[in-house]
Amino acid sequence: MEFLSQIEHSGFSNWVRESGSQWSYPTILFLHTVGLAFLVGLNVAIDLRILGVARRLPVAPFERFYRIMWMGFWINAVSGIILLAADATTKLANPTFYVKMAFIAAAVVVMVRIRRTVFGDPQIDQQPIAPSAKLLAWASIICWTGAITAGRLMAYFGTDSGAPQFINRIGG
Amino acid sequence: MIAAFANWLHATSLGWAAGGGLPWVEPACKTVHFLGLALLIGCAGLYDLRLLGMAKGLALGPLQRLMPFAALGFLINLATGVVMFAGSPFQYLENVTFWLKMLFIALAGVNVLAFYLTGLARQVAALGPGQDVPVSAKLIAAVSLCLWIGVVYWGRMLPFIGNAF
Repeated sequence: MEFLSQIEHSGFSNWVRESGSQWSYPTILFLHTVGLAFLVGLNVAIDLRILGVARRLPVAPFERFYRIMWMGFWINAVSGIILLAADATTKLANPTFYVKMAFIAAAVVVMVRIRRTVFGDPQIDQQPIAPSAKLLAWASIICWTGAITAGRLMAYFGTDSGAPQFINRIGG
Repeated sequence: MIAAFANWLHATSLGWAAGGGLPWVEPACKTVHFLGLALLIGCAGLYDLRLLGMAKGLALGPLQRLMPFAALGFLINLATGVVMFAGSPFQYLENVTFWLKMLFIALAGVNVLAFYLTGLARQVAALGPGQDVPVSAKLIAAVSLCLWIGVVYWGRMLPFIGNAF
């Protein structure tokens, strides 16, 4: 707790949380949302193809979008760590945060598994999509939905932010 | 006129519920708004990225099958957006960020219309896998990506610019 408090009150964390600069908390939160849109959005679009939407298209070329999805992932890992550092004692005491992390971990495992088992199969477009692949696609949709839901609800469950003047901003 | 509409909407039971009468409505709407955002940007963005030259193995005609899901994302966000607006309409109306968000959504709509009405959509739908689209279609794709990211930007800035929230 002592350590978390130190992180939370470092110069950088203070700046992120309390400077009021457009480039601190607001911009980092915006980047976190754009990363989400591309990571989750493209992944769900791929899931939809595996589940049979636009079935006239080959599946294989969709693998190209993994590059953008990983970009979204890293934008969100970095922006997420900054947002966490700015509010470490509160967020790490919030059970919803761990629910979010669990969903993200599961979603990323599923995303990697889809790449290995679905895109890694050279016969992918020569035969119907396996039921196991469809199961992975559903798991992906469910895990990302859970991650976004838990992420949003972090603002409503658990204790209020350690920065009272920013409750609305950190919360909302 | 807008003020009268806002007052009326706020006085409905929807406005009451979203304004805190049912405390779960606002968090639920915000959550679903983010799910809709991901669906819209994921599906429309994937199509835009293909127009720009990514994953050229995908033919653009069948790829349009993703568009109903982008439209679904948009409708989800329109519905949840109206509910949140009903909860505290003047917080939005008096915030310049809200109007910039609406402007960007309108521009994105004009951009989509331009794509369909100029016949570009039909033209690229006739292209096979591996083929490049005309520069005008790439321009529309780039504008689309920028505008939707802009919409997210103004939406995210609602609590930070204008001090209305």
